[in-house]
Amino acid sequence: MGAPIYAHYRDSRAQFLAYKSPTLKGSRKKKHINIEAVVLREMDKGVFTYLVDNLGVKDVQFEELIALDADSLREISGNRCSSMESPVYGVIFLFKYPTGETRRDTPQKGTFDSEAAENIFFAAQTIQNACGTQALLSVLLNKDGAIDIGSQMRDFKEFTNAFPSDLRGEALSNSELIRDVHNSFARSSPFVDETQRAATEDDDVYHFIAYTPINGSLYELDGLQPAPISHGPCTFDEFPDKVIPVLQERIGRYPATEIRFNLLAMVRDLRIRAKEIGDHEGLVREEHKRTAWQWENALRRHNFLGFTTEILKGVVRSKLQESGTSYDEWVQNATSKTENRLKDRRGGSGSAEGF
Amino acid sequence: MSILPILTFKAGICDLDTSTSPPKVRPKTQPGYIYLYAEDELVHFCWRPRSAPLDHPELDLVMVPTDGHFQPYDYEDQPATSSQIRTPTNGRIYVLKFSSSSQRHLFWLQSKSQHPSGNPGWFSPRDLKLGQIIDQLLQGEEVDVHDEIANIQNDNDDEPDGDETMEDIEGTGEHGGDHHGSSGGGAGPDATGGDIREEGEPSREGGADGGRALSSTDPSTIVQNFLNSLKGAPSMGPASQAEGKLFTTLGDLLPAETTAPVIEAAGQSTVDHLLSFLPPDLMLLAQEVDDISSVDPNSETARAAIQALSVNQKKDILRRVVRSPQFSQSLASLTAALRDGGLPGISDALRIKVENGGLVRGGGVPLGSGEAVEAFLQGVRRSVEEENGNQSNRMETD
Repeated sequence: MGAPIYAHYRDSRAQFLAYKSPTLKGSRKKKHINIEAVVLREMDKGVFTYLVDNLGVKDVQFEELIALDADSLREISGNRCSSMESPVYGVIFLFKYPTGETRRDTPQKGTFDSEAAENIFFAAQTIQNACGTQALLSVLLNKDGAIDIGSQMRDFKEFTNAFPSDLRGEALSNSELIRDVHNSFARSSPFVDETQRAATEDDDVYHFIAYTPINGSLYELDGLQPAPISHGPCTFDEFPDKVIPVLQERIGRYPATEIRFNLLAMVRDLRIRAKEIGDHEGLVREEHKRTAWQWENALRRHNFLGFTTEILKGVVRSKLQESGTSYDEWVQNATSKTENRLKDRRGGSGSAEGF
Repeated sequence: MSILPILTFKAGICDLDTSTSPPKVRPKTQPGYIYLYAEDELVHFCWRPRSAPLDHPELDLVMVPTDGHFQPYDYEDQPATSSQIRTPTNGRIYVLKFSSSSQRHLFWLQSKSQHPSGNPGWFSPRDLKLGQIIDQLLQGEEVDVHDEIANIQNDNDDEPDGDETMEDIEGTGEHGGDHHGSSGGGAGPDATGGDIREEGEPSREGGADGGRALSSTDPSTIVQNFLNSLKGAPSMGPASQAEGKLFTTLGDLLPAETTAPVIEAAGQSTVDHLLSFLPPDLMLLAQEVDDISSVDPNSETARAAIQALSVNQKKDILRRVVRSPQFSQSLASLTAALRDGGLPGISDALRIKVENGGLVRGGGVPLGSGEAVEAFLQGVRRSVEEENGNQSNRMETD
């Protein structure tokens, strides 16, 4: 016995390698969203706002719902009176999907409405990490009319109109536009072949669900469930009031220590309202917000490899130009910093999170 | 029918406890084998306890080509503002994952760590090669397994990595003394004390787990384990200065305190040079262009907008970028990529010459861990020195 790795039996290897299916390989790569690259980990209003913008949707933005009450929800949309003036189109709920929760025959709350699935855009989630986009589209494509979803989304909706929900999910992943836009907002990690990215259990643990009023009922649209879930009658105006208790119940299902959830409201572009009522300050504020979001998104999508190298060169150059020991001191400082930080972590509690 | 494995090696199964964050990896002690065989032109990925026969695996996954990947497992959960290296585990853990589903299987290598100081989280070139071979096989690629393995050179192979060595480590405690820290979870003689208990090593002393510092009883968190393995590092002898060192991270080399003065002191051409590596959108935003999506960055408008920025405005952009969480994250990613064997590809893409092309000396595998980062930095330094040399040559001939 020598090496612990036993490479035997070339015959069997040859037998296996006789299988070659270049078409399968090629078509698989083209067909699917690059799952590994698509990680919308940060449920970020800036990301979502520009994601839908890039899909051709007009005048929609996302805001965080911090307090779980109807007034807060209305306030986000800038609305104090009529919801038609400044509507809340829907709410996206991000939460940790409990391990072991399987698809049930009856939902924990509400009722499966399979018939509604025919009249509602509901797509089964087939691409694991695409669920953020899935949730967005669930709201958007059901608001055609209330929102200008743009020609591309309208085409997509028409195209999938006759499909059952699982096929719609497939269509989502096959749509080049959706795939490209989604991928472009993925956290850019160009140095690492994304397939080498760590298997963070977050990937299948965090889940996005959409809540939106359609055809007079409040629906919960969850691509992992077999059908849309109806929570009873609900008009557009009533949506903020009726969605809150549903959300509260949902959040209440998880242990109190599980605080990792987030709520985004899909609302009309707040700049419009500001212009309408002459709120100059509000308009400026919104414009600044947009600029900040675009800045962040630009950086998010950027491949920093070249820039990093140039900055590193710049620092090296300046250190070499200084005194003889400058460079070594710089490296030594950095090395100590790394070591100390790890030592500090060790001194911390056992439940310290990663780095 | 008889099963003819393509590849077999010692590995155990790990459970992943997702109830905590970060999730805990719990290795199961049972000694086993991962093996691959082909049937009906599809690869089977199997695991069985060592006592079980070939045709009684506990895990038998039929792999569709390109669907599966087999890679070292690193936990990654970076806070937005930090840029530290990822936390490895205190064992060599591989993950089998799928494009078609979220299923994950974690395994730990049960062969003796080849690290000279016994760092149990260190993937030796052979370990990495093993993972690569399997990954390639899972993609449906041709791999001459025999040749690949024969080509791996192990510089620190004091003893044959045979099973018998492992049996020895399992059975007795004395190898712990001979090898730097291998009994202590990879740190050094110091680490063999209470740490063993904390990490749940008693079962290893009982010989059950194949000689690794892992156990199915409650191990500390991944961070704890790695840190424990580092504990004895400063007290090690010259061997510790060899492979597997920590070195540092790009984030620690390029904090804002270091990069800001360089930006400050930069001249016009340097500033423009740096900006050329950033997305043009940033420049347009600084010019308060209302709807940047409507502006083609390559257009005259865009160029004009960029030209119109003052040097100070440009430096401001650079300063904001180096302080941004996105930049920090990318530094962390790049550090991790270098540590994971990405040095040859990265240095090649950047045209930075690194020693031996980024490969382990005499071997065909990439440098890993801190050495790769160090080699990268040295390559950058060399580039800078060459550039300076060229410049001064030019000046002399003026």
